[in-house]
Amino acid sequence: MAHFAVTAVGADRPGIVAGVTGAFVGLGCNLEDSSMTILRGQFAMMLVVDAPAGVGAAELDAALVAPAEALDLVVTVRPAGQEGAGGSSEDAGSWTVAVYGADHPGIVHGVASLLAGLGVNIVDLSTRVVGEPGAPAYTMVLEVTLPAGADPRHLGRRLEATAAELGVTCRLHPAEADIL
Amino acid sequence: MAVRPVLVLPDPFLQRPSVEVGRIDADALALAADLVDTMRSRPACVGLAAPQIGVGLRAFVIDVTGHRKARSCAGELVLFDPRLESAAEPLVAREGCLSVPDLTGDVARASRVVVRGVGTDGAERVVEADAFEARAVLHELDHLDGFLFLDRLASAHSVYRRKVYR
Repeated sequence: MAHFAVTAVGADRPGIVAGVTGAFVGLGCNLEDSSMTILRGQFAMMLVVDAPAGVGAAELDAALVAPAEALDLVVTVRPAGQEGAGGSSEDAGSWTVAVYGADHPGIVHGVASLLAGLGVNIVDLSTRVVGEPGAPAYTMVLEVTLPAGADPRHLGRRLEATAAELGVTCRLHPAEADIL
Repeated sequence: MAVRPVLVLPDPFLQRPSVEVGRIDADALALAADLVDTMRSRPACVGLAAPQIGVGLRAFVIDVTGHRKARSCAGELVLFDPRLESAAEPLVAREGCLSVPDLTGDVARASRVVVRGVGTDGAERVVEADAFEARAVLHELDHLDGFLFLDRLASAHSVYRRKVYR
């Protein structure tokens, strides 16, 4: 069994999920993890599919041509390992970072650069521009994993300093789940 | 009394509604002891319902003693045939479940509840719970009706892979 990461992006309309997944069913692939969302009318999907022996990237690409044309999608296929190098079971836990303030260019890059420099991995991120056109507000929520041994209080202080430079507010809180 | 294996997704037994216990006899007390022993055997576990150990009866145990999110705390609480009398003030929080070991999710649940049931002494108990204890009560009540936290997720993006809490 080989895993492939597939992405598809296009103007939103009914039938995109059915069309793309139909190509996988036809090849005997199994859908594993997926995430899909819509941003300002653009639908984006990312899926990890498990392909049977004999089905490779070329076969997946070929099977996706018809739905991509019918639905006007940009599709990519690439081989994927079981796990990326981003995190490990040694992580010092998951944390949620909330950033918000007046919108201006450079907020995401500023925060993400700080995190990258500290070895902190971003595992989920969403941003929204809201408010009046004359006074747009920017909100960003990230879920991050800290490297083993990292001190969350240190990260919190560095985030606050970076946020102050960027003129936004930034707070860190644990994304712990309680097991019931 | 014994630590019992915990059923996990996709075991269809977890989706089956449980039936009333009725009279609190030796079998019911043995079930209560197994629920407590099994809950205690798992670190950080604060509740367990009978269907999770393969018993289709309406019984659960919770114990939120010492939990930093707890306000009310009834200690170790075994309830048979529990019924929710009232529920108010929903809050969203992330929770997990021994029966869904690979995922966690953001779930809105009432943060003030009143639950009525029968204790291990056979006497009726009325428990007022709030904050984390209320969440635990509602999570276990759901198990008795065949529901998992997956049935209560706040949104399609409210489910997370659990990798660091095992």
